[in-house]
Amino acid sequence: MTARNPVRAWLGRDINVLLLAGAIGLAAWPFFAGDAYSLRLLTVAGIYALAAIGYQFVFGHAGALSLAQGAFFGFGAYVAGILSVRMGAGFEVTFPAAIAASTVLAALVALPVLRLQSHYFALATLGIGQVVLLVAVNWESVTGGANGIPNVPALSLLGATVGRGWPMLLLVWSLVAIGALIARRLTGGLTGAALRLMREQPMAAEAAGIDIRGVRFAAFLLSALYGGAAGALQVHTVRVVSPEVLEFPVMVMLLAIAVIGGRTSVAGAILGAVLLVHLPEWFRPLERYYLMAYGLALLAMIVAAPWGLIGLLRHVRQRWLPEPEPPPPVAGPMPVGRPPARLEITGLTRRFGGIRAVDGIDLVVTPGESVGIVGANGSGKTTLLNMIAGAEKPDSGRIGWAQADIAGLPPYRIARAGIARTFQTLKLVDGTTALDNVAAASWHEFGGPGRDAARAAAMALLQKLDLAETAWKPCGALPPGLRRRVEIARALIGGPALLLLDEPAAGLTAAERDSLAGTLAALNNDGTTVVVVEHDLAFLEKFVARIVCLDQGRIIADGAPADVRADPGVVAAWLGQPLDEGGGHG
Amino acid sequence: MEFLQLAINGIALGAAYALVALGFVLILNATGAVNFAQGDLVAAGGFLAVALAGFLPVPGLLLLPLVVILMAGLGLAVSAAAYWPLRDRPPVAVFISTIALGIVIQNGLNGLFGAEPRAAPPLFSGGHLEFFGLVIARQSLAIMGVAALLIGGVQLLLKHTQLGRRLRATAQDREVAAALGVPVGAMVALTFALAAALAGVAGLLLANQFFITPTHGTDFIVKAYIAVVIGGWGRVGGALAGAMLVALFETVVAAWTDYAVATGLLYAALLTILVFRPQGLFGEAEGRRA
Repeated sequence: MTARNPVRAWLGRDINVLLLAGAIGLAAWPFFAGDAYSLRLLTVAGIYALAAIGYQFVFGHAGALSLAQGAFFGFGAYVAGILSVRMGAGFEVTFPAAIAASTVLAALVALPVLRLQSHYFALATLGIGQVVLLVAVNWESVTGGANGIPNVPALSLLGATVGRGWPMLLLVWSLVAIGALIARRLTGGLTGAALRLMREQPMAAEAAGIDIRGVRFAAFLLSALYGGAAGALQVHTVRVVSPEVLEFPVMVMLLAIAVIGGRTSVAGAILGAVLLVHLPEWFRPLERYYLMAYGLALLAMIVAAPWGLIGLLRHVRQRWLPEPEPPPPVAGPMPVGRPPARLEITGLTRRFGGIRAVDGIDLVVTPGESVGIVGANGSGKTTLLNMIAGAEKPDSGRIGWAQADIAGLPPYRIARAGIARTFQTLKLVDGTTALDNVAAASWHEFGGPGRDAARAAAMALLQKLDLAETAWKPCGALPPGLRRRVEIARALIGGPALLLLDEPAAGLTAAERDSLAGTLAALNNDGTTVVVVEHDLAFLEKFVARIVCLDQGRIIADGAPADVRADPGVVAAWLGQPLDEGGGHG
Repeated sequence: MEFLQLAINGIALGAAYALVALGFVLILNATGAVNFAQGDLVAAGGFLAVALAGFLPVPGLLLLPLVVILMAGLGLAVSAAAYWPLRDRPPVAVFISTIALGIVIQNGLNGLFGAEPRAAPPLFSGGHLEFFGLVIARQSLAIMGVAALLIGGVQLLLKHTQLGRRLRATAQDREVAAALGVPVGAMVALTFALAAALAGVAGLLLANQFFITPTHGTDFIVKAYIAVVIGGWGRVGGALAGAMLVALFETVVAAWTDYAVATGLLYAALLTILVFRPQGLFGEAEGRRA
């Protein structure tokens, strides 16, 4: 790379040239089409862009289909409109009041609603909009009822009137610019990779110490904040507030902007808003049918280009003009190891219906040990591992770790306490590079701006696990053996004191198994405690000093590999059965 | 007495909603996805009846088979446009694509018929019957009868025919059904046809007493959605009970308070159920969590 000229280097990256050209085009547009109507349309586009940037937090970044953004937008409009008409308040009051009102509304409903799974969440958020609409229509003395409130005054800021046309256009787009910069700051860098991990592999994200509920809460509040801000601008632009602003078409418009422009890119929200606000103008010859065209455009996008126009442009660029793979980042220091601790399990029990999957297990793992857990399918191996990692809650019992009982804690807190895990079926983000898959797992340590530091740490781990050449390769393109190792590298980035592995050898070739055994032995030598659930005894014997055999949720043998192999109970319960490699559940 | 009167009106309304919710839950089970256009299909059925009545001035009952056939065709088109291209994507993609298709249907209707409310012909004839002091619209009785027959017919189809077994196998587990040789794609398309036909009939039934406008679809989908959540995600019987409950809120509770309060109370009930019993009043169908 001859990066002598940083401007040229920037322009060559990604789709920056197009984005710059688009921004210049957008800025030049009002100068050429300077009539009042065009200025107004562009102002409205800016308002929708702001609301859509907000919507992207919850819909795009947190990956939750919220149908409440229209309600936050309309609620903001009503609050600003009422304060402005009934109390003569200026924008310096109505703007923060609208923002605060929408955000508080979001905080109030978040508690019950955010716990819900996707389709329930969609309905509950839709219900919020319907209730707000109902109140707006029926609380006539305050909201003006079905007719709303006419004659909202022009926006006045500290006594100065910001009139229609250029002044309003500039104010709105300045706020769009500020909102866009804040959104990029909040979702860019390492945060972007962490959010993607959270959307595509939520269990892996929790296991990497990410508090998904906390992130979703923040995203929901941010979306309401932006929605309220846009609503306040809207009411001073259209000069009237009526129930229409709360009706479903506004919500669909914001959804369409995010889908058509792009769900996670700020440029996508702006592009989508400008396009969709002008669509009726361009489709004017269709007369009454123009809204049909808008529905068809939305349908076509979701089918043909689900990541929106910005995603499509990125795809085209990578396809036809691929960027050269950058040199791998310089490896930083290895992650600092957590202080070793003793894992002390007593009386741990988990029932599924009438079956005791784990039935009163007592198990102590001392720091630096390496322990294999074996047993037939259904013997409770994976359930035990999941309870230690927090993915399943025990019915009773205690899991002692570093002077605390971690039984029943959420996975992200257990991860932060120094216990990392891998999964039986790999949970990697296939479309992301190996480097960023590993780096994303350190988000809660490094934060958004710490991407370079996180990548340096990730690179150190990739090198240690012989994965240096895969750094910039998307994980989906790697063979299974390498993918397993990427997952192990990811588990190690927090410097865990205890590493839990769930059938790491499943699906690997003999050579890959040997190499993995070597890797795990080396990790253990460096001081990491290792607990491995496995079917393959020969694989375990290469690196563990102790094997625990489970049968029907109880420990039936615990000792050196050779002794366990010879144990008559183990032979009867497990080894006597045909060995099932891979596929089963523990 | 007034309560009985209201309850009968509510049951008639609930019977029509039950058809909509039944279609919703059949598609939900077959695809794992919400068909958000289900409400707009109700409006489409209503306007179809209005349009057909313009050509054929006969009672609604004779229009019913035509509406069923044409709406089934529309259902096939919906599955081809909004489900088939997205069958391997997360269910949320279908949710959004059916929102888009709903916009297309809604605005197509608006373009063809205009925004004014329209009425479809009654099933037999207008007028009322009186017994023991209760005044019952003939149409209400007809709605209950037709809905009961159709719901019973769908149950028979699902439980006692080879086609029904294949439809249920598809709803249970698409991959296993495909492995067993069930033509899963065709079964899903048929489910859409069935759901659209049910929605269309509901449209025909409701468009007589309550009129119909192109934007009505949003109300219907919200009600069906609430019915299915209250009744337990993926449960056919629960959806029918949920639909009745929604309709009773709209008639009985609304008469005691007023419509806005009743609707507010319905949402409050919905949120309460979601918070304390997210599996619905009757429990989720197994493995159907959204």
